[in-house]
Amino acid sequence: MFASVRSTTLLGVVGRAVDVEVHVGVGLPGFTIVGQPDEVCRESRDRVRAAFLSRGFAWPNRRITVNLAPSGERKGGSGLDLAIAVAVLVADEQLPAELALSHAFVAELGLDGSLRGVVGAAPLVSAVRDRRVVVAADNVPAARAAGANDVVAASDIAHAVACLRGEAQWLDCDSRHAPAAETSVPDLSDVRGQPVARLALEVAAAGGHHLLLVGPPGAGKSMLARRLPGILPPLTEEQSMSCTMVHSAAQVAVPSGGRVSLPPFRSPHHSISLVGLIGGGTVAMRPGEISLASDGVLFLDELGEFAPSVLDALRQPLEDGVVHVSRARTTLTFPARFLLVAAANPCPCGAGTPGVCVCDDAARARYLRRFSGPLLDRFDLRVNVGLPQVDDLVDGARGESSAVVAARVRRVRERAAQRNGDAKRAHGSRASSNSAIAVDDLDRTAPLHPAARAVLRRELEVGRLSGRGLHRVRRVARTIADLDGMPEVVGEEHLATALAMRTGLATLTSGAR
Amino acid sequence: MNDTVHHTVHHTVHDRRVVAAAIASLPGIGPQRLRTLLSTLGVHDAWRTLRGDLAPHEHIAAMLAHDHLGRSLRRQATDELLARTAAALADHAMRVILRDDPEYPASLRGDFAAPAVLFAVGDMSVFAKRRVGVIGTRAASAAGRHFARRMSRELARSGVSVVSGLARGIDAAAHRGALDDEDESVAPPIAVVASGLDIVYPREHAALWAAVARRGVIVSESPPGCAPDAFRFPLRNRILAAVSELLVVVESRASGGSMITVDEAAKRGITVMAVPGSPHNESSAGTNALIADGATTVCHADDVLIALGLDHRRLSASSDARARPSPADRAVLDALARAPATLEQLVAVLDLPVPEVALRLGRLEAQGWAVSNSGWWEALLAS
Repeated sequence: MFASVRSTTLLGVVGRAVDVEVHVGVGLPGFTIVGQPDEVCRESRDRVRAAFLSRGFAWPNRRITVNLAPSGERKGGSGLDLAIAVAVLVADEQLPAELALSHAFVAELGLDGSLRGVVGAAPLVSAVRDRRVVVAADNVPAARAAGANDVVAASDIAHAVACLRGEAQWLDCDSRHAPAAETSVPDLSDVRGQPVARLALEVAAAGGHHLLLVGPPGAGKSMLARRLPGILPPLTEEQSMSCTMVHSAAQVAVPSGGRVSLPPFRSPHHSISLVGLIGGGTVAMRPGEISLASDGVLFLDELGEFAPSVLDALRQPLEDGVVHVSRARTTLTFPARFLLVAAANPCPCGAGTPGVCVCDDAARARYLRRFSGPLLDRFDLRVNVGLPQVDDLVDGARGESSAVVAARVRRVRERAAQRNGDAKRAHGSRASSNSAIAVDDLDRTAPLHPAARAVLRRELEVGRLSGRGLHRVRRVARTIADLDGMPEVVGEEHLATALAMRTGLATLTSGAR
Repeated sequence: MNDTVHHTVHHTVHDRRVVAAAIASLPGIGPQRLRTLLSTLGVHDAWRTLRGDLAPHEHIAAMLAHDHLGRSLRRQATDELLARTAAALADHAMRVILRDDPEYPASLRGDFAAPAVLFAVGDMSVFAKRRVGVIGTRAASAAGRHFARRMSRELARSGVSVVSGLARGIDAAAHRGALDDEDESVAPPIAVVASGLDIVYPREHAALWAAVARRGVIVSESPPGCAPDAFRFPLRNRILAAVSELLVVVESRASGGSMITVDEAAKRGITVMAVPGSPHNESSAGTNALIADGATTVCHADDVLIALGLDHRRLSASSDARARPSPADRAVLDALARAPATLEQLVAVLDLPVPEVALRLGRLEAQGWAVSNSGWWEALLAS
């Protein structure tokens, strides 16, 4: 008469356990689903019935009511199909209740009764990982990655029921989904010459400083940016889990091992919408590109081509490390601890060189208006990338490899975590890096050599540096000094380098750096 | 002057200056037709002819017959236009200077394309001083602007008025240099502009425009309310050339407004001087070509003073107040002097670590030897 079966539904990037309650009773034959199902969920009624009939189960021609508890929250997706089917079987007394009791079911049903994988398997399964979870075969890696110890797969509903009864074996998934090697990140040794750009990448990785690359087309801006994940510190267990959840919820392919283990690198095209970048959407609240890039790199190529409203939406997540997406029914929080790297042409003609550029003042001003000052201000590092020298391209030696640079980066990150660790425990993330040193902590963590102090004073006096710029420069200088093996006092040369790597577009817009 | 204009408005609308200004602002009357009208008929007869009160002179008649010009002019040449013109002149303290006025610049009066009417704001007596035109491209390099400013400052100190066009780039730098010293003895600047004197163009130069008007003089042949139409700039350039005793081109591309001014100067036998630049610098292509054609080079304000036959020795004492760069910094400066460079290019050329180059650049910038603009460093060598 009555059955309750455990399943789960997706809310943003988090799975929520759902009890599928089914009551089969007297009344006109019918099938209703209550408990705020969305359109896809409501349609499962027809899928479940077709699956029953095509697999030879008897369909109870009575009044069937399905309640998705807790009933106050909206449920979405097709992952409840299998649970509803099993609950109907239990309520119709075709399956003993105790056989389904210790299980959770997360799969979509085909009309022929076959089990299909669902979007967001990792977060879905993680909500019920204390039970044995029944999923479709293609969701097994994601489910294992989510930390569920007991994951089993079935080919169709009849198979699943047979397995529950102990009459058949669950599918053997380990051999079918051998973890393959993760896609490799291009190596930094491919970059020849370009010492300043290389240094900027290293500083960005070591200190978690956002980076703007300004240069003509063909200067290798994208090439440089793509090599950044290779020198970032490897993801911690916690970060890897969080990345996997987001990737799974956004239906972005994860390595076949099921886990995201390298810092993600996302480079959305400049036609991206606000929702695509930030997250949201009407049907299902999906994480956006900034959440996919969390704990990794968000690369915006052709920064000037992005819609200004889209770019301005980045400001809040850049500050907070999370993004709150609110819609009429729900407010969700997605992770957004990304390292922002952007590339832009110096001017519409792309030349940039004084005397070679053919842009008139008006065209240049129009172009620069596209970049909002507050966003440009968020880039601690703004460097010009020139076309590579011919000598370097033809017979230059290969540069340092990513492994060598990554080792230095890791040392700096560790030192920063120790230094800032008293206040913040989050190890290895941007939160403990040099870019996150609190203003009132700067004097303790980044004391200045008197000569460096004089340089800063001069910059402030001539008005080239704003108050906020001052703190940013000091943080970058801290990272440069750390990379230089000087963990104590920040010297004049470190500060000068930080200042020199803070030019780019902004001197044209505001005259201040 | 204000008094005169008010007087005109209230008592007699037949002041010849107001009438001349009104004729100049009639649509269809350009500099050439204005010159023909005023020189053949005189101001009042010209007005009466345009009104249709007077039978036109024969070749004026031919002019008026063209394209029904006469008919449209008759409709527009009203007393109301006179009143409006008088009000506009009064509002902006603008003066009208006719070719036979004693104030009319002497060097312009004999010119073959002299404007029949000049509008002016400021002190016309500046035209009695020595005058050097300082011109160049709007898209100037930082080094070019620096040179223009410094040279103009020294010319002004030596009592030479700097003539320029109040455009962006070199023009603005030249005016700024001429205004740098507040001292009484400094020669005031002269600006020759294309638009009406009440239309400030480009708008960001409003403060500079006002400063030139206050300390020196701005002239234009365009009547009040006249927009900065593209065709007015070449016309303006001929006046700029004609009122200059010497013309110095600081930076110019191979073609452009500055080269038009150079052509106008050449037609009038005015000496053209040019500042040499790097062959890598597009905005020195024009000046380098001028030098190849035989223009005298200008590397210092003294070169201009010598060409004017003025004493230049007084200047050399106050040449350069900047601290000498150290030998190490000098190497960076030498590299920059060849062409503007990014930090990356300098690191490659000098083969030094990035922090070391950054340190030296910071010192050079503090001492005033180098400037950085959107990531490009330029040397400010010329003193």
